[in-house]
Amino acid sequence: MFVVDATIAGRRSVARGMFVISLDAPEIAAAARAGQFVNLGWSPGPLLRRPFSVYRAEGGLVEVVLKEVGAGTTQLLALREGDRLSCLGPLGRGFDFAGSPRSVALVSGGLGVAPMPLAARQAASMGLRVTWVHGARSADDLCSEWLGDEVVWATDDGSRGVSGTAVEATPEADLVLACGPNRMLAAVARRWPDAQVAVETYMGCGTGVCLGCAVPLRSGGYDRACTEGPVYRAGAVDWETLPPHLPYAATA
Amino acid sequence: MSADLSLSAGRLKLRGPVMAASGTFGYGTEVPLLERRALAGMVSKGIFLRPRTGTAPPRIAETPSGMLNAIGLQGPGVDALIRDYAPQWASWDFPVLVNINGESAQEYGELAARLDGVPGVAGLEINISCPNVEQGGLYFGNDPRAAAAVTEAVRHRTNLPVWVKLTPMVSDIAVIARAVEGAGADALCAINTFVGMSIDLNAYRPRLSFRTGGLSGPAIRPLAVHLAHQAARAVKIPVIGIGGITTAADALEFLVAGCSAVQVGTATFVNPHAIAEVSAGIAAFLDLRGLASLAELPRYLPRD
Repeated sequence: MFVVDATIAGRRSVARGMFVISLDAPEIAAAARAGQFVNLGWSPGPLLRRPFSVYRAEGGLVEVVLKEVGAGTTQLLALREGDRLSCLGPLGRGFDFAGSPRSVALVSGGLGVAPMPLAARQAASMGLRVTWVHGARSADDLCSEWLGDEVVWATDDGSRGVSGTAVEATPEADLVLACGPNRMLAAVARRWPDAQVAVETYMGCGTGVCLGCAVPLRSGGYDRACTEGPVYRAGAVDWETLPPHLPYAATA
Repeated sequence: MSADLSLSAGRLKLRGPVMAASGTFGYGTEVPLLERRALAGMVSKGIFLRPRTGTAPPRIAETPSGMLNAIGLQGPGVDALIRDYAPQWASWDFPVLVNINGESAQEYGELAARLDGVPGVAGLEINISCPNVEQGGLYFGNDPRAAAAVTEAVRHRTNLPVWVKLTPMVSDIAVIARAVEGAGADALCAINTFVGMSIDLNAYRPRLSFRTGGLSGPAIRPLAVHLAHQAARAVKIPVIGIGGITTAADALEFLVAGCSAVQVGTATFVNPHAIAEVSAGIAAFLDLRGLASLAELPRYLPRD
């Protein structure tokens, strides 16, 4: 775990209202694995850091993907190239590629695309056949960047690819890795209990000490998205108790 | 020339004035050794006799310059603490106090007896101020007789230093402070979180599943300085200041206001190096002001 005073090296748009920010953080870029996250803080800014999956990590840069959903992300998107922020990471436990799978389906909905480019890189380097499945409300909301041997698009309104959800559009694979709204991950759990899913929770410290990011388990009790997670076996999570949405502040 | 930061808080010798507050540093084992070097001491996550699962999510909500939490004292119970953590603490070069919680004075006493003489446990911090449990917690903290009864129940079952963590949710903290001092406390910790609430305007309901939570962070600091000062004026035993400390200047406010030491909590969530930075900043301040030791720091403490 490193705390890096990182410079913003660039920003690009990848979908309607969705941006990738590149941070110059070589130590973290070298150590990050797919499914892990970084916790970003900036000043002046909110009190708590904001957690983001590592989108890509190469050439000394850590990339994260975000949309304006509240005061914190609004401030982050107002930062310019050359501005600095504090990057803590890599944090959490990422995807597990053990068991000699030959194919992997990377299933994402909306911002759930976040851990997938790094997952695709890691899977490809291990010789897996990668199917990239990405869904969103409409064609304009789909992330324009993808990696893999095959791509499947899904939109709620049918404006691009399959009309329906990413989960419905996913072909069978030895390994299923998914990220998206918790409601979508619950659907993943029904179809593939053994899939690995990266969950989203409200988070305090990101380092395992505050117990704020509780993930309810079907076996009883809670553990920490930041430490035991954020990647879980889909069938292990109690999806009834995990809040389907984060309580983002309403914008007036 | 570096100032001497050591001090005595009751019977405990501390190498400096900056400790980690309960619930913000886990059991210390989660944190890399590097971060522990700056600690003068640590208070463990609050423990009950039995394991507790804690509250359902969402457990935290950010507020202006602060955060609400309702973790519900999730923990493995005292047996697991003694088995898994205390042996590690025994090898550390700073004292670890255990934050103890119960639903009755008898349960607090039982916990004290179980922890008495356990290698690695340097003292107890009685939590009579947790806002996030259905039974006990705050109830003991806002009634002077109940607070004294819990303190006595613990005092009678252990020879360890006994600290008592006070709640700010009282009309006069001096009354509680004196009651607890009279019941045999070695030191007071002031303060725990304020009870607060935040509403999710999308769902038209509280943002926390527990409805309310404990407010911490810089938002509460001036309130905490005042309450710690009031407690320090009321008693002769040491007072450990807690509440929104993020920088050395914040910590120095508590020290000048009459506290013997401080605990840093929420700041650690934001900055893993917070305790080291606060500690180094206090040393730099003393050097800058030409003070050879923490004991020479002028205090503002008119006695009641």
